[in-house]
Amino acid sequence: MKKSRLMAGVVAGLVIASTAACSSGAGGGDESEGLTFMFRGGEDEKAAYQAAIDRFTEETGVEVEVIVTDADQYATKLQAAIAGNTVPDVFYIEQANLQSYVNNGILMDITDQVAEQDVDLENIWEFGVNSYRYDGTLQGTSEGRLYGLPKDVGPFGFGYNKTMLEEAGIELPDADEPLTWDEWLPILTELTKDTDGDGEIDQWGTGLNVQWNLQSFVWSNGGDWTNEDRTQVTVDTPEFAEALQFFTDLTTEHAVTPNPEQAQTMDTYQRFMAGEIGFFPVAPWDLSVYNELDFDYDVIPWPVGSTGETATWVGSLGIGVSTTTDMPDEAVKLVTYLSADEEAQQTLVDANIQIPNRIDTAQEWASAPDAQPANRQEYLDIVEDYGRAMPAAFTYGAQWYDELWVNIQPVVDGDQPAAEYLAEVQPRMQALLDESNAQAEAAAAQNNG
Amino acid sequence: MTSATTPAAVGLGTAARKKAARRTPAPQDGGSTKLHRIERRWALLFVAAPVIGYLLFVLYPTGYALVASFTRWNGLGAMQFVGLDNYVALLSDERFHLSLYNTFFYMLGIPIGLALSLALALAMNRRLVGRAAFRTIYYIPVISSLAAIAILWQWAYNGDFGLVNQFLAFFGIEGPNWLADATWSKPAIIMMAVWKGLGYSMLLYLAAIQSVPRSLYEAASLDGAGAWQRFRAITLPMVQPVTFFLVVTNIIAGAMIFTEIQIMTPTGGPEYSTASTVFHIWQQAFKYQQMGYATAMAIVLGVLILLITLIQFRLNKRSSFVID
Repeated sequence: MKKSRLMAGVVAGLVIASTAACSSGAGGGDESEGLTFMFRGGEDEKAAYQAAIDRFTEETGVEVEVIVTDADQYATKLQAAIAGNTVPDVFYIEQANLQSYVNNGILMDITDQVAEQDVDLENIWEFGVNSYRYDGTLQGTSEGRLYGLPKDVGPFGFGYNKTMLEEAGIELPDADEPLTWDEWLPILTELTKDTDGDGEIDQWGTGLNVQWNLQSFVWSNGGDWTNEDRTQVTVDTPEFAEALQFFTDLTTEHAVTPNPEQAQTMDTYQRFMAGEIGFFPVAPWDLSVYNELDFDYDVIPWPVGSTGETATWVGSLGIGVSTTTDMPDEAVKLVTYLSADEEAQQTLVDANIQIPNRIDTAQEWASAPDAQPANRQEYLDIVEDYGRAMPAAFTYGAQWYDELWVNIQPVVDGDQPAAEYLAEVQPRMQALLDESNAQAEAAAAQNNG
Repeated sequence: MTSATTPAAVGLGTAARKKAARRTPAPQDGGSTKLHRIERRWALLFVAAPVIGYLLFVLYPTGYALVASFTRWNGLGAMQFVGLDNYVALLSDERFHLSLYNTFFYMLGIPIGLALSLALALAMNRRLVGRAAFRTIYYIPVISSLAAIAILWQWAYNGDFGLVNQFLAFFGIEGPNWLADATWSKPAIIMMAVWKGLGYSMLLYLAAIQSVPRSLYEAASLDGAGAWQRFRAITLPMVQPVTFFLVVTNIIAGAMIFTEIQIMTPTGGPEYSTASTVFHIWQQAFKYQQMGYATAMAIVLGVLILLITLIQFRLNKRSSFVID
């Protein structure tokens, strides 16, 4: 009897050992001398990052095990790794998740280590660096401790098909003076036409996606999602409603965009690349693809509403270090390398997936004589002058913000007036924002106490 | 899952085994010989593996989830006990109710799928030219990656360029913008799910049909039964165990529909019209870091599935019969 119990024990041990082995991929176990780095991205991005990391290993002798996922699986995988106590040493962090990751003791305060590394933070976009500062109550200000460095900043630019406008004999828009909505609309109407005479429209003025493009319309019209201290949802203002209405009227009233059936995101993206759309967003991460197109394009400020001031958002993704890492110094070194090293940045910029993080490199990049698009300076202007963080970037979670999009389809289809919908959705968004603010407070109290 | 064996075959197996057991005399001495001791150790080893696996990968996580469902927890830090708060919140969460409605709406596809696959199985049972090729073709969606299929169908459903609408246009019908139209988004998902599951159900039905004794049909023919009567009185009851098995497994699988939804409508569709319960749970857990709340929903969903399955077993017991 004793022997069989022993046997069962051995078997149990074996099973546990084998399951443990399955999960020890991440987390930097005792025997492995390297770091683990978890990130996400498309194929171009993976290749560029691998190249940068290979050079890091060459220079420092620190092995880096890379765990890479597609964008939509990243959050799930990271959360699972955290629940399983196998947090990667270095990993991507979203602006909107920073506070909860800090409050729960997962992200390491790297302020001092970065200072020791002798990194010139002045030479990195202020918006990018501040995005990962947090003082326990406010995120995004210059006072907070540093919990990560920007992987990149993503100024969401706007562009147009130069070849199309030239062929139509339309004056090219100015690179500094934004078009007003009133000036823009006639151009869109002129561009929308049937080019091959088969009776069907096959060229449009523009084609935009409400979830990613509405911000610019609202901001330039003087509206916003919340008040300044992010406690009050302000989507039910006339300025906001007017912007949303103008946005949807482009499709339903003026018909200068592909109609609702034709307006799925992928279609307008494909159509722009096929040369069927005049004005379209041109973000830095699109450049590697857009530079292969058959027509000329360039970047301009977004068209403006009543304030006359152009506006758009700047995204950012950060790289942070886990509190559980065995090699904090090397981990911070990897972060600063990816974020701020001249050569590493060059690798990433050459791959055309982002604008440079370093201001000096960026200025060089923008003024390159053979630059394509020609007006690369616009991206720098967005980051430095007029770009804004996404409405939910610095709140505790983004559920309140996502609520706006869930039932917006009838508005986009022209079945419901914008003002009516916004009045309806505001209380729901407010309730969610209140909840998220309460959570932030509770978490901060728990953390400090 | 014992995918290829029909429940009928499993039934036969146990009966045969029982007989075999009766014939072999049980060891009288409780396994005192050396051979028996070794065998017993091996037996323990084989028994231990699945038991430990079950404890580790099923019971422990289930218990953990149950505990988590009574807490406010963001999946990162410490859990904070809040009693029944999460469950109370569920009662007034319209999104959760909507997602449950959507999930059960998708199950309309189950009877459609079963009828189609039975019809197909009957067809495939005939001596058709290229029968093997057809069987393979129908089975291909079953072995294909669900993610790949979802992406494919997403294209097919595209309102403007999509295959489905181009096909409809061929008959002069103007198709809707399937996935962006709250009325059509659910039927679109159902059609895809039915298509994907067809091959699997068909294969099981085919096996069941082929195991029906030919003598029954011969006797029925002699008694003057037509094709429809033979189908109703013999085939249908004889494949009933397979139908039962498919209904149970399809409902369980249907209650957990997720990948298709997440890939084809990443925001839960227009007006949340395609969001399944698991999709809603996933959003709350991983997107909004409401892990405690999400586990409470998961527990409710689990209990619902359990109840439905129990009811089905009840109903099946009453309606099943034995042919001697």
